[in-house]
Amino acid sequence: MSPRLSGVVLALTVVVATLWLAATNQLILYIHPRYVVFTVIMAVLALAVAVASFATHPDDHDEPAPRGWRRILSFSALALTLVIAVGLVVVPPATLTSATVSSRDLNSTGAGAEVQSIDEAASGDDASFARFTVRDWASLLGQTSDPAFYASKPVDVTGFITSAGDDDIFYVSRFVITCCAVDAQPVGVPVYLPNWSDEHEVDDWVHLTGEFTSNPSSGSAEPLAVVPATVERIGTPDEPYLF
Amino acid sequence: MPFVILGILLSIAVQEWVPDTWIVRILPRNPFARRAVISFLGVFLPVCECGNVPLARGLMVKGFTVSESMTFLLAAPIINPITIATTHAAFGWDGWILVARIVGGFVIANLIGWLFSLQHDQDALLTRRFSAECAMPHPHQHGGARVHRSLELFIRETSVIMPALFIGSVVAGAIQVLVPRSVLVTLGSNPLWSILAMLLLAFVISVCSNVDAFFILPFASTFMPGSIVTFLVFGPIIDIKMLALLRTTFTTRVLVQLTVVVGLLSALIGLVVNYVA
Repeated sequence: MSPRLSGVVLALTVVVATLWLAATNQLILYIHPRYVVFTVIMAVLALAVAVASFATHPDDHDEPAPRGWRRILSFSALALTLVIAVGLVVVPPATLTSATVSSRDLNSTGAGAEVQSIDEAASGDDASFARFTVRDWASLLGQTSDPAFYASKPVDVTGFITSAGDDDIFYVSRFVITCCAVDAQPVGVPVYLPNWSDEHEVDDWVHLTGEFTSNPSSGSAEPLAVVPATVERIGTPDEPYLF
Repeated sequence: MPFVILGILLSIAVQEWVPDTWIVRILPRNPFARRAVISFLGVFLPVCECGNVPLARGLMVKGFTVSESMTFLLAAPIINPITIATTHAAFGWDGWILVARIVGGFVIANLIGWLFSLQHDQDALLTRRFSAECAMPHPHQHGGARVHRSLELFIRETSVIMPALFIGSVVAGAIQVLVPRSVLVTLGSNPLWSILAMLLLAFVISVCSNVDAFFILPFASTFMPGSIVTFLVFGPIIDIKMLALLRTTFTTRVLVQLTVVVGLLSALIGLVVNYVA
């Protein structure tokens, strides 16, 4: 292969991997769904131009072959990209986990801030609470910790388990994505389940129901926690992130 | 990746399909006014900063001076509708952050453009390879010849941009994993250290300007507003990934000068906001 075409090979490799991920609905593990169409359009355009470049293989007699550091850089990137592309196809794409939660602030101001207003939630019914995600509850917890506000409001959420550093408390968590996995911010709701690690492991995906009460655990600073009625272990959802 | 592809395609369009006189005709002749207008090209070409690199290369081949293309490169990621909308969505009008970002980006882009315009030999700012590309004649071609030439440009641009993008992204990702974010956050409450921490964070994280406001929003409660502005002004211009991409076009000496001056100006703007807000 001509060294001149190394960039086209790089582009082609990534484009094919991108289109494969899009076709198998796994591109949303890396980017926000709103960018999927744009990404696929760009990938198809790049594919068409790259194939045409290979087919016509225009000569450029003025163009010297890369030498020195550019040659090393070019071949390093080509090898690296091929490894990454093969990895994308061979190794199943995985979601972000609690390891990433530990390096980013859970329930920081940005991700879940005021996606739910207290006024609207105060007058909600059971059907509306059933649609609440971890992000909605985390948003409300960020605005009020008055136990009376949460009385008779059923919690029905799905998320993965993140340790709270307490034997009796864990967080049921999700990542909120704005553009791509790089900007993923974790949100979570504290759950009170004595000796939870006997039955569950960190990163297990669970579907739980219950209600908020004052946190019974003395080892946790969280004022409120969900006391679960049911905790059901489930597989990773098709859409693990919240958008 | 999609923005880089878009940038390369726009670069090809500018070089091969837009008439030579079209761009030159609509820009003012006065260099200061010209750079000021160029600062707003991002409004019509809202490509992220990675995609702006091939586009800026195309503009230089088309006749932009190095300082003009630098003004475009620095301003376009900040002064474009997507970045402004996301910054407003994240911060609203709180703490002068949005205003300081737009004004700061404009001022820095034009100052840098002016500084590099003082260099008499503009070609000396470019790598030898790219300088040679700019010097190549570009005869008017039509039909099949123009398509042929566009494919040639695609091969050339991908061979330069794609390796730099991948190496830069891998290095940025590795450093993100290796440098604990908690180290940076502990510096956040000090007016000076918080700004330095944000410069470092922006340099390491290498996140696109279109979404960096959402990325940095969680830090708003820890860091002072001026340091947030520093992140939002410095990050779109200088980071690991961008330096790898810019090195395809500019000399190492230029990139060091650019990094130092932009860093100092971003820190100054942050200090002013910390003082005023």
